[in-house]
Amino acid sequence: MLKKTSILFLLTVNWLTVGLAANPERSVIQIVTSSQQPSWDAPWRFEPVRRGGGSGFVIKGRRIMTNAHVVSWARQILVRRYQDPRPYLAEVEFIGHDCDLAILTVQDEGFFENIEPLEFGELPKVRSTVVTYGYPAGGEEISYTRGVVSRIELEPYAHIGNRRFLGVQTDAAINPGNSGGPVVQDDKVVGVAFQGLPGLENMGFFIPLPVIDHFLNEISNEHYDGFPTAGIRVVPLQNQAYRSLLKLPDNNLGTRVDSLLPIPSTEKVLKEDDVLLRVGAFPVASDGTILYQGNRLSAALGFQFAQAGEAVPLQIWRDGRQMDVSLPIYVYDADRATGYQYGSLPRYYIYGGLVFTPLSLDYLKTQGRAPADQSGIEAYYELYYRRNESPATARPEPIVLASILADPVNANVASHGSTPVDKINGIRIEKLDDVVRALETNTNAYDVVEFLPNHNFEILEHGKAAEANPEILKTYGVPKDRRL
Amino acid sequence: MRIDCPLSTNFNASQASRPPVTSGVPFAAMKTDLPQPVLLDALESSPKSFFSGSSSKLASKRFAWASFSVIILFSVLASTFAQDEKRSELSAWEHSVVTIEVARKQYDYFLPWSKRTIKLRKIGLVVGARQILTTAGEMFDRTLVRVQKGGRGQWWIGEVTWIDYHADLALVTVSDAKFWRDLKPVVFDTATPSDGALQILRWRDGNLESRRAEFTRYTVREGQLSAVNHAVLEAGSEIQGAGWGEPLIANSHVVGIIRAQEGRICVATPASFIRAVLEAHKKGAYHGLGYFHFYWQPAENPDSLAWLKLPGEQHGVIVTQIPNRPDGGAQVLKPLDILLKIDSFDLDIQGDYNDPEYGHLMLENLATRGKWAGDEVKMQIWRDGKAREVIYRLPKFEYSNALVPYAVFDQEPEYFITGGLVFQPLTDSYLRSWGSEWKQRSPFRLNYYNNEEPTKERPALVILSQVLPDAYNIGYQDQRYLVVNKVNGQRVNRLPELRAALAKPMNGFHIFEFAEGESLRRMVLNAGGPEQEATARVLKRYGIADAAYIASDKTN
Repeated sequence: MLKKTSILFLLTVNWLTVGLAANPERSVIQIVTSSQQPSWDAPWRFEPVRRGGGSGFVIKGRRIMTNAHVVSWARQILVRRYQDPRPYLAEVEFIGHDCDLAILTVQDEGFFENIEPLEFGELPKVRSTVVTYGYPAGGEEISYTRGVVSRIELEPYAHIGNRRFLGVQTDAAINPGNSGGPVVQDDKVVGVAFQGLPGLENMGFFIPLPVIDHFLNEISNEHYDGFPTAGIRVVPLQNQAYRSLLKLPDNNLGTRVDSLLPIPSTEKVLKEDDVLLRVGAFPVASDGTILYQGNRLSAALGFQFAQAGEAVPLQIWRDGRQMDVSLPIYVYDADRATGYQYGSLPRYYIYGGLVFTPLSLDYLKTQGRAPADQSGIEAYYELYYRRNESPATARPEPIVLASILADPVNANVASHGSTPVDKINGIRIEKLDDVVRALETNTNAYDVVEFLPNHNFEILEHGKAAEANPEILKTYGVPKDRRL
Repeated sequence: MRIDCPLSTNFNASQASRPPVTSGVPFAAMKTDLPQPVLLDALESSPKSFFSGSSSKLASKRFAWASFSVIILFSVLASTFAQDEKRSELSAWEHSVVTIEVARKQYDYFLPWSKRTIKLRKIGLVVGARQILTTAGEMFDRTLVRVQKGGRGQWWIGEVTWIDYHADLALVTVSDAKFWRDLKPVVFDTATPSDGALQILRWRDGNLESRRAEFTRYTVREGQLSAVNHAVLEAGSEIQGAGWGEPLIANSHVVGIIRAQEGRICVATPASFIRAVLEAHKKGAYHGLGYFHFYWQPAENPDSLAWLKLPGEQHGVIVTQIPNRPDGGAQVLKPLDILLKIDSFDLDIQGDYNDPEYGHLMLENLATRGKWAGDEVKMQIWRDGKAREVIYRLPKFEYSNALVPYAVFDQEPEYFITGGLVFQPLTDSYLRSWGSEWKQRSPFRLNYYNNEEPTKERPALVILSQVLPDAYNIGYQDQRYLVVNKVNGQRVNRLPELRAALAKPMNGFHIFEFAEGESLRRMVLNAGGPEQEATARVLKRYGIADAAYIASDKTN
């Protein structure tokens, strides 16, 4: 999963200047951001301010739609209208990191004067022509590129890194800076340009209407929860033997539930070896696909039309007979650390100069190692595999010793890289709060920190470590010893 | 300290200080070949010619001129002497260094039924009566061994008389007595020259090539063909393509044989390790290499020793985890024991001891320093506030001790095909099919099994490595790298268990269950006639001679 998402790149650009154009380009906005990401291995710190940019477009309700990745971690967002040199300050009103969409507002009412909001169209047909609008790198003018819709399928969304939603591939040139710009067909927006594949020319992707609609519906109640997850893994059911075993008619319908995520609401309704015959209004084929507007797409799409908390009607095959069930689906965030995280700053706790932080994809990326490097192999397994393979032993929030702020009190503590912490003072560390509890309630002379998997450990003198902590924080300019 | 190779008993002490010379050659012939006698003759004859038939004055002038000439001549001769001596020394090695050609089967674990053969050459050293020593590398799965002496000429059929992959050593012999006629055993020595100058020898295009090397250090590394740690000698050199058993020479003695090259660093198995293994083998006391089957960590953090209440000066390392012994033996160590001393060697907080031959080395070397599998090692430990002594019996290193065996040698890759589904044991040999960076390139989950210990319930793993497409297995063609848990309800850890489970289908079906995770969990196929027909069809279509190779079938 990590590998696959990492090859996608997002289409922001570091810096662009104002361009000029005419209708509907008048509704296309240039976005300039100053953003600052947190340092995941020194979580109290921020990376240098980066200037970047992207595109957006005005929609009804005096809003600007763009990509979430254009405005993530933004300290300041400036938006510029077509042919207007004045920058306007904008703010994020809603942001959906999973679907990579965001809504901006501009306080200055003058910004929206003489701009007609763009209207949305529908999912374009494969082979139909679309035009992308935006402010990509390589020039100062607004750019238009025409292309053909090449393919429609579920794509990994690079901004979040661990979700797949409907995506449309086009051969229209979509370049860095196009991010957030509208993709137009028949004067209506049919998508939002968002990512490409490095090394592959004439291949860009845009977010199509079903995903945009879901996002807009979700924010209609003034907050965004995210796309819900059914929590099932389905596999094709095309071998005659398996169909016979399940007494399933040989009609090329039905995909088999191979495994379930530990989501109680799902486990209540579905079982392994259930066969999905229909998801919502869509019959499910034996290859695990549904037919959606003329496109054969993964049956997972059938669940993506529902809002969080809604129930999806399913027709299933179980114990040799057909059944109708209703599956309520919710936003699943137990795997949030396996994707990129935004919005809230990384959590940490510093004790005796030892910096503890939750294990996450963001943290592993700072280590710059291949997953199978011996130093990172345990962390990678803990993050990506244990929950699925051995839920009983999985920790809700594995913790790593991210770094050591050197001080005489910890001078002999060795770095353990990204190796997850097993126990502290005999307490199994399930989450960051456990670290705090284990260290702050210790009454022994020493603190013992044990690591996975071979029980290697480090020792600190408890009294000295606690006493030294304020001075260490001061030395390293750490404002607080914790963010829990 | 010099250690003569125990196998070179026909070599006396005075000879031992010089390069080995060829035995069985008439002395006169030897004398003309060697530069030293030739040089002495010249010195004795030249001055005489200057003095013959002359007056005293003239003789005096002549003497002065002659003296000057003699000095010039001496300088020239001295230079010639040095070159000749070097040539002579090299020439002497020609009678001890041989070329070994190995033809062996090469397997493709992605297509375990296919076999290719490759031929390669390496270097051997005559070490005793009809014995040639080389590394064990590339000697596995051999079909033919040939030996050539003098870098050219006839190839003689060789035979491997003993091989130990864990120690990375092999002995080769040639049955034809004529082969041995002008060969002479080498002498091993552990002395490292003070200037660090070493020499690497190998046959290249019919000439004995001598390349300079520089001693870098002694250290402890995993074996070239095993996970057993032992001392190695590292030497820097500009030589390229070394690592094929080339001797490393210091002061005319062999101080190691090169087992690998990493950039400029040649990694050699040191002479004393070789000598000890060969000696034990000769006495019948060698039962394979042993090792320390526990995890430990350095005690560089003084608080860790204080926490464990070790008084006095800091020393020792801390035992952290003790997996079950592969031989089922009793555990004498416990987690949080401080390991203070092994045999008579004190351990420092880094886990090193001071080796009398090599200096500071990691404690792992004490499992192989003249000790073998089954031998006892005396350990002084600190436990519960008291020092005590325990006897640790070294378990034998076996590839099968690990959940994912380190290697499989001298055995064709095992596989089992049914209906196009290809099952194989999970081994590092299989994972190495991903190339030199296999740890990064092979499927993460399969590689991660290397980090897991075998258990009674799961001593080994069988994987569905691929599916050869056929109408029978339609729907499963893309499945691969799946670890098998059960087949038809029966636990499967090895291929014979898979075969036995397939013999008991469930209501006409085969039900395959795979390890939990993100991959496919369950697969069902028809058993009986359709399965057998599919297997026959697949074998024919994909050009596979046999549906299975299971090693135990051959041995039973």
